[in-house]
Amino acid sequence: MIDGFAVELRQVVKKFGQVTAVDKVDLQIRDGEFFSMLGPSGCGKTTSLRMIAGFEMPTSGQVFIGGEPQGYLPPYQRPVNTVFQHYALFPHMSVYQNIAFGMEMQKVDKNEIQQRVGETLEMVHLSGMDNRRPKQLSGGQQQRVALARALVNRPKVLLLDEPLGALDLKLRKAMQVELKILQDQVGITFIYVTHDQEEALAMSDRIAVMNQGKVHQLGTPEEIYEAPANRFVADFIGESNFVPGVMQKMGPPAEISVTGTEQPIAVEWLEDGINAGDAVVVSVRPEKIRIHPMGQAPTYPAMCRLSGQVEKVIYLGTDTRYLVRLNEESAVVVRLQNIISGGGHFNEGEKVDIRWDSAHARVFKE
Amino acid sequence: MSAIIPETRASRMAHLKQRISNISLNFYGILGYLFLYTPIVIVVIFSFNDSRSTAQWAGFTTHWYVDMITDSQIIISLWNSLFVAIVSTIISTIIGTLAAMGMERYRFRGQLGMDALLYLPVIIPDIAMAIMLLLFFNLSGIGFEVWNVNIFGINLAVPYSVIIGHVAFNIAFVAIVVRARLSQMDRTLEEAAQDLYANTWETFRKVTLPMMMPGILGGALLAFTLSLDDFAITFFTSGAGFNTLPVRVFGMIKKGVTPKINAISTLMLAMSLILISFSLISRKRGGEDQSIEMF
Repeated sequence: MIDGFAVELRQVVKKFGQVTAVDKVDLQIRDGEFFSMLGPSGCGKTTSLRMIAGFEMPTSGQVFIGGEPQGYLPPYQRPVNTVFQHYALFPHMSVYQNIAFGMEMQKVDKNEIQQRVGETLEMVHLSGMDNRRPKQLSGGQQQRVALARALVNRPKVLLLDEPLGALDLKLRKAMQVELKILQDQVGITFIYVTHDQEEALAMSDRIAVMNQGKVHQLGTPEEIYEAPANRFVADFIGESNFVPGVMQKMGPPAEISVTGTEQPIAVEWLEDGINAGDAVVVSVRPEKIRIHPMGQAPTYPAMCRLSGQVEKVIYLGTDTRYLVRLNEESAVVVRLQNIISGGGHFNEGEKVDIRWDSAHARVFKE
Repeated sequence: MSAIIPETRASRMAHLKQRISNISLNFYGILGYLFLYTPIVIVVIFSFNDSRSTAQWAGFTTHWYVDMITDSQIIISLWNSLFVAIVSTIISTIIGTLAAMGMERYRFRGQLGMDALLYLPVIIPDIAMAIMLLLFFNLSGIGFEVWNVNIFGINLAVPYSVIIGHVAFNIAFVAIVVRARLSQMDRTLEEAAQDLYANTWETFRKVTLPMMMPGILGGALLAFTLSLDDFAITFFTSGAGFNTLPVRVFGMIKKGVTPKINAISTLMLAMSLILISFSLISRKRGGEDQSIEMF
């Protein structure tokens, strides 16, 4: 591998008629990485994956696998294997025949096929199921067969297209852990497509957040959650408050006047291209906000403070959520962990102060 | 408690209504089957009737069957029927399957029109098709050469026109059945095969074809049955002196209905039953994955 990337997309564009599904995407996926492409349906993540697999050809740009440009190579000449969303197991073949299929096509020696199928079945905990038909297996078992069928070929890269989408929640959680362990075991690069942000956060080394054919942010789960690059990412990953305001002073320290309040608040991070006087939103995660009885919030430097009234209290077991109304236009969700049993620190209708560290706020274009 | 009584009465009434409607529905169903099968049963029974009359029962005999088997004209026409059916089934199954794949897998200009044209032979009356074919053969002058074959010592002279005619209407039926199967097939199965290093041909042979097989077999059996059964098209396209079994029977009936015709009918009925059983079995086998619900 010349450049050290398992897969690289360079200026890749895919158009279906008038619709641009993937718009000048650049991605560099490292060797051995668990890489996720995350986004809502229609964001171009599946199309990107299909271009790596060779099921779709880019309108322009180039896909590299192991440093080699793939051009118009058909799927059967690419060193990748895919786990499909609905498994796509061959219904007219047994589990054994399904798993052996790829090796038979590559003319692998019969004895080796037998040995490798056995090993792989063991790896996915399906030993002894050789002669079953896919129809006789549960959803979770079919999923494992699909995994085994791909992994047994020892591809450079494993492509997974929402592989857990068809499973129920509990099984999905279990399979997430199992997939992660499996990846550590085999050491193959995984490219994982999902619309489930929790899944992506839990499993990935790095995530590409996509929307409308473009990569909006590329980073580790922590980077993406703690430092979203724009409003879409902040909104799509986890939960965020968006408080509208106007850019007052570019700074440093930069200041924003929140709509409906007089006192400006300090902010540290601004999205590129914001100018004084622009309408903006301040984005803060609910768990980063503290809540105090009116007038009792301590003041520190770099601390933003706003007043409001508790409108709704929702008890959620591990934590309680307070909807705090700042004014007619905006309200903020605050999440407090229930460290002391009994919850209910604040009541509906109570006047409160909320505060957050200005380092935790991100300012995006309206 | 008193409030419950009217409710019970109402539910009893509802139960009674349900029973009555069930019984009448069953009765209606039985009536339908009687209407369909009484003539057939009568034909079968009277093929064993020891009398020239087709109206009165005069004891059991297999005389008419012996009569049938020893009639060389009938044997020749039976072989003609089978030969035409087999050859036209093979040709129409191949063309029909390819047509179905083309229609299902590709998008091209004028597809809707081609689609309608492909299925036309299913909709238009046999007699119209027969006249069109006759005109075609007459105008073009092709097809009236004969194919000389010898089967178990029997010499057959089958006009190509008959085979071409049968192929022409059978393609449509094969295409419909195969296409129904194809449309239910998961395309990602083929992608999966390609992803697992199978090239286009291997994908077709190892995945597409096995998945299509129940549809192809079903279509072939349907084509075979229709071909065996056809009268109008054969009659119009065969020219003089060539008889398939239905055409031969038609010729015999002009001289009066004899129990021998009943025996031939029973034989054809038996053949049809065997074919339909095969077709059902093959469909049921395929139905383990996804069943085709056509015809």
